[in-house]
Amino acid sequence: MISVKKVNNRPLNFLERIYLPEIVRGIAVTARHFFTNLLRPGNILTVRYPEQTIPLPGAANQRTRHRLKLRADGSPKCVACFMCQTACPAYCIHIEAAEYAENSVEKYPAVFDIDLSRCVVCGMCVEACPEDAIAMDTKEIPGGALTRRDMLLTKEDLLRNLPGEPSLLGASNRLANEYLEGKK
Amino acid sequence: MPKITIDGKTLEVAKGTSVLEAAQLLGVYIPRYCYHPKLSVSGNCRMCLVEVEKAPKLLTACSTEAADGMVVRTDSDKVKTARRDVLEFLLINHPLDCPICDQAGECGLQDYYMDYSRAKSRFAAEDKVRRQKRRVLGPHLVLDNERCILCTRCVRFCSEVTKTSELDVMERADHSYIDLKEGRSLDNNYTLNIADICPVGAWTSRDFRFKSRVWFLKKAPVACLGCATGCLAEAHHNENVIYRLLPRPNAETNTWLCDRGRMTYKAVQAGDRLAKGVIKNGLIDLEPALREAATRIDEAKAAVGVLGSPWLSVEDNAALALLAAGMKTANFCFDFKFETGIADGILVNKDPSPNAAGAARVKAVRGGLELQAFAAKVASGEIKTVLAEARAAGLIKDALKTSGARLITFATNKGDIPAGAYATLPYASYFETAGTFVNYQGFERRLEPVVAAPEGVKPFWAVVNKLGAYSGVLLRLDSADDAMRGLEKK
Repeated sequence: MISVKKVNNRPLNFLERIYLPEIVRGIAVTARHFFTNLLRPGNILTVRYPEQTIPLPGAANQRTRHRLKLRADGSPKCVACFMCQTACPAYCIHIEAAEYAENSVEKYPAVFDIDLSRCVVCGMCVEACPEDAIAMDTKEIPGGALTRRDMLLTKEDLLRNLPGEPSLLGASNRLANEYLEGKK
Repeated sequence: MPKITIDGKTLEVAKGTSVLEAAQLLGVYIPRYCYHPKLSVSGNCRMCLVEVEKAPKLLTACSTEAADGMVVRTDSDKVKTARRDVLEFLLINHPLDCPICDQAGECGLQDYYMDYSRAKSRFAAEDKVRRQKRRVLGPHLVLDNERCILCTRCVRFCSEVTKTSELDVMERADHSYIDLKEGRSLDNNYTLNIADICPVGAWTSRDFRFKSRVWFLKKAPVACLGCATGCLAEAHHNENVIYRLLPRPNAETNTWLCDRGRMTYKAVQAGDRLAKGVIKNGLIDLEPALREAATRIDEAKAAVGVLGSPWLSVEDNAALALLAAGMKTANFCFDFKFETGIADGILVNKDPSPNAAGAARVKAVRGGLELQAFAAKVASGEIKTVLAEARAAGLIKDALKTSGARLITFATNKGDIPAGAYATLPYASYFETAGTFVNYQGFERRLEPVVAAPEGVKPFWAVVNKLGAYSGVLLRLDSADDAMRGLEKK
């Protein structure tokens, strides 16, 4: 069933019909904002994004710019399993896998690109990751670049740990953890 | 003829048929790891347990012969529990490194776990038995003993199909693992079949290693053009890149595919792929190269010799025949006689070319010289300019050398160009264009394009068509099927 909403448009009264008073009223609103902003610039609500940002509220579960987590030795936790690329509904992740010569975890991403101009910030990549390697907790809102190239995050842009890391979670991280312990 | 009832469906099967095969005939799928239709029955994985009436315990369907009046259930609670428990056993020591395993997506453990188990593991990861991971064995394979479920398909393949017996199960019980026998190396020509038949990720291909995830790959039916056997194969490709060739098992020609045949796809993406014409040793654009070749053909007129090729499709040989007819030369040859037959007892043919039988079809209609007579005419200088596909030109290379005849070749890769070729014209390989091949048994293989050719590279018949146009012979070929006119009686 399609619900139908009936709108009763009120007929215009005399003052509205003669047009000019309403124009003056409109200009008055604009002028009021103009002079308030001119005299008290601190109260302007608009932010000059992306140069200026507003701090995001609290510890809410927000999906913000992606990052790739690092192991204790600085290598990416990602093992290029392509789960995020498979889950991504926007086809914005591009991975090329490569092989470690000695590290027992065997596989790592030689290329890991996220095209932010395509990303829909849905968080499916984080859900899909079996290695706890990708996160969207940087609290940075992506966007606001001048070229398309600036919207492309490469592996180097993505690799970063937050304070308190590295974490040792993840499915095949057993191999990596053993390897790291062996190196000590 | 025993009559067997499986899940309420009755079927009469030939004597000696196993319960598993009978179930397959009835359309009842019984899960299996160690059973393979082309290998001997081992019965060690216990995945195919079924309930047989009057039998005290569950029986393995792969090793139980169907008997008259046998009543089998594959969907009872007892069987379901057995499958779940067998999977739990198989997964006790499994490393669960699916994120770095190439088998993920086509793995028997993953598939059956989702279909028959879905149970949480009751064993701690620390207690798993550790084995050697990532061990390179042979030129094509990597072995990961941790992922192995000891189904012994690989051991049986090596002892029964290649009869080389390089592999065996070492030690006993919980300690057992697959290993090479002492002093042996895994270097027979069929090793990549082991990666195919391995139901888990223990054996994986070095060539395909980490190249792509299997669920991204699209499958296209092709035939292997490595030799005259013409095995049916499947090209796995994605985004215009071919990643691997797998066999397409069939009763007539092949169950397996040899390693050399599997690597034939590499020439398509090789670095020496020709996208431009070559005059002597310099690369030039296709158009000027075609004009130059056409000028030389015009110069020689009736002294031009056209040589067909057993490496070209029937259509492309027919296009060459049309060109020869248009040039009104009697010097053409579609006669290639190779000894045929399986050389190694498995797949590799004595005839290294894929389409000698197809070229013979052109010869049957058009006639032409015998290869020796053609070579003799080249050697005596009667033929001054030879038009030939690169590998076919290799068949008369001695004659070309003695007479110094001008050679205009067609090639897909720079490495194929014979020494001393005057001009070389590029053409699209048979992964990129359609064509018909006839194998040594006389079976036709119709190939359809899998990927797109590099920019500017045209199918062979189109190159011949243009070459004809520039040298004053209008062939009017618009498709490969047009070239089949060459097979019609004049």
